[in-house]
Amino acid sequence: MDMNAYLSMFIDESNDHLQALNENLLKLENDPGDISIVQVIFRSAHTLKGMSATMGFEDLASLTHEMENVLDLVRNSKLAMDSFIFDTLFKGLDALEAMVQDIVGGGTGKADVSSIVVSLQSIVKGDYLKAAQPSADAPAQNSGSSGTSGGALLDIFQQSVLKQSIESGNQAYYIKVTLREDCVLKAARAYMVFDVLESNGEVIKSEPSVQDLEQEKFDRSFIVFLISGTDAEELKSRIESVSEVDSADVVLLDAESLQMYGPVPDNQQKPAASQAAPAVQAREAAVRETSAAKSQTAATGAAVANRTIRVDIDRLDSLMNLFSELLIDRVRLEQLSSEIKRSDLIETVEHMARVSTDLQDIVLKLRMVPVESVFNRFPRMVRDIAKQLDKKIDLVVTGAETELDRTVIDEIGDPLVHLLRNSLDHGVEMPADRLAAGKPETGTVHLRAFHSGNHVFIEVEDDGNGIDAAKVRRIAVKNGVLSEEEANKLSEEQAQMLIFAAGFSTADKISDLSGRGVGLDVVKSKITSLGGHVTIRSQLGKGTIFSIQLPLTLSIISAMLIQMGSEKYAIPLSSIVETGIIQRDSIATVHGNQMIEFRGTVIPVVSLSRVLDVPDYREDAETETEIVVIRKNDKLAALMIDSFIGQSEIVLKPLGKYLPAIKALSGATILGDGQVALIIDPNAFIK
Amino acid sequence: MGEELKVIVFALGEEQYGIEVDKVRTIERMQPITRVPKAPGFIKGVINLRGVVIPVLDLRGRFGLEETVATDNSRIIIVAANELEVGFIVDSANDVIDIDSDTIDSPPEVVGGIKAKYLQGIAKIGEKQLLVMLNLSEVLNRKEIIQLEQLEV
Repeated sequence: MDMNAYLSMFIDESNDHLQALNENLLKLENDPGDISIVQVIFRSAHTLKGMSATMGFEDLASLTHEMENVLDLVRNSKLAMDSFIFDTLFKGLDALEAMVQDIVGGGTGKADVSSIVVSLQSIVKGDYLKAAQPSADAPAQNSGSSGTSGGALLDIFQQSVLKQSIESGNQAYYIKVTLREDCVLKAARAYMVFDVLESNGEVIKSEPSVQDLEQEKFDRSFIVFLISGTDAEELKSRIESVSEVDSADVVLLDAESLQMYGPVPDNQQKPAASQAAPAVQAREAAVRETSAAKSQTAATGAAVANRTIRVDIDRLDSLMNLFSELLIDRVRLEQLSSEIKRSDLIETVEHMARVSTDLQDIVLKLRMVPVESVFNRFPRMVRDIAKQLDKKIDLVVTGAETELDRTVIDEIGDPLVHLLRNSLDHGVEMPADRLAAGKPETGTVHLRAFHSGNHVFIEVEDDGNGIDAAKVRRIAVKNGVLSEEEANKLSEEQAQMLIFAAGFSTADKISDLSGRGVGLDVVKSKITSLGGHVTIRSQLGKGTIFSIQLPLTLSIISAMLIQMGSEKYAIPLSSIVETGIIQRDSIATVHGNQMIEFRGTVIPVVSLSRVLDVPDYREDAETETEIVVIRKNDKLAALMIDSFIGQSEIVLKPLGKYLPAIKALSGATILGDGQVALIIDPNAFIK
Repeated sequence: MGEELKVIVFALGEEQYGIEVDKVRTIERMQPITRVPKAPGFIKGVINLRGVVIPVLDLRGRFGLEETVATDNSRIIIVAANELEVGFIVDSANDVIDIDSDTIDSPPEVVGGIKAKYLQGIAKIGEKQLLVMLNLSEVLNRKEIIQLEQLEV
């Protein structure tokens, strides 16, 4: 059987489960008493184990199995979680993640996890175990019991669990599941049966052991002891709804019949066992006939539930590229139709334009991913770092559902890691210092994302010590980032921005995490390369907010096309406030800079033709000049241009790696006539 | 006998130059080039090559030779190396030949005013003709692009 077809599905689902495990373990750490979380964790771990065993990733399966053993004790309230157990489980998760990554990279998913396994086993067996007997789920014991039916299927411990649950009013069942003879994926089916059982109750014991089942070390049938509130018929039909299950015999156990499966070496029990066995067999036969029909109807019912599909990212990218080509042709068609002026052609082109606008919406939306996929690894990271730093920190995540283009999502992770680490390391103070400053001992770091206009904002806010502008100035001068004179000229805000300069660190000592002076400058350049901006708002003693502004999409934008002599340029519409015409003589020179009055304020005027060295246009000779008023945050500036061409949807294209970064340009686009037009970066004109 | 190399032959002035064929993506006729402001002089601008924006340089300018006006024979050779895609404007490109790697000699210090580091070697073809093999990775070395002056705003 070709497993490769399932590999990508396996990887996707493993990642989902690992993420779920991480999240839920964190939840549990905050609320260790909540057994319902343990149940969820256990189910994730179990599914993961089943999948990896089916796919033949033995190491993954066995490590998950060990973790499952620990979790099993916890959910049965036989083990109280403590920090050692959490750490070990987290370590286990890290190892699992590494293995899955290895599989993603084409590896075999093998890794040496013996140390983690040893500590997991020590948790299961060792001092942590409150019960007198070692757990029946320990693998050593599982493999030890090899009886097939009747005999000592249960050890004392399992037996007492069943007994207790019967006494407390729950039903205990003996279930024998038989798979069809032609069943191909026996392990997978067994696993699916377990899934059903576990959603209906609690599996106390299986024969053969779960491990053996997963490795297909069984013939056609297996036996399960289950505690459940569901009645026998219901259980039976649920199990039989799993495809390729031939039959399921569900026998309700009472205290007496329970005895015969126990290890009690009491001779009286033996006859009882042999009596029960034929009874079971008789029911088996009766049940077999009805099962086939039932399983089919149930299978079709379940298939409808899933309404999403996973799509290869490359396909989305090529869809996007093809759409870009279409858009260029659309612009060209619009041009042609306006030249030819035939009404039916114009009508058709207009209709096509409307359809392609809708199509564009859909194509862009397809590529939108919630930032959650980036955010969800942070709670874990913050926990680990806080622990390492001996600080107490709460991470509050809001707006994780905010959507961003996938290209941005892929790139935004690392900068955010840097910013968060920076906040944890330099922002939030040590608990003692916080208490001394009259703040709560536990620091809070907010990570939030939200939409605003055509942009998405991501903010990292801490309630730490804030940025000391004076200290930043001092260090910047010392590290030679700028001269003392320049430093003194800077406003508070500008001084704070110095921490983004290359080779800068305010940390008094270099820590493992940050302070080497690499990081924040990388953050800034990365975000700039994504077409975004970082700003800092910080108050000494109160805290710091790093705010990242990102464009919604990197692929298609609305832009104003302008003519500069014989050349054409595009200005993103998102930064244009207004267009207009000014009289040349209304331009005043203030302090060597050209300024105009615009709606009650005075704003700088920039000669675009000079900045771009346009060879065949200068506005100097004109008495009236067209201007584009652009905005960056709350600052405005006016660009003098030659003439407007019009508004258009443009497809962003990179200028290629060879060209050095040119400050006033953010990229290129291809116009309807096949020519390349450069895109002006308005932010370069406003300091 | 050394390895057989397939080489695209192009001309800059009187000299014949060669680029290994597997580094060349396509050869295009001259087409309108969009000027890129503030770029070094030898970068003529960018072109649209089937939906991809590709920078184009004048190879004469790159080697510090005198630049000439494009003619009907001028071609843009699109090369791909070091993960870069770049177009070279050359005076003409019209031949693909096989040469034996053994016949490539190390280059003399200066060939026709081109610094030796841009050259991989000199191959003899036929009786008299010499073919100068380009060292593409050095020609495309970005460190050489002079640090651009920041735009005055």
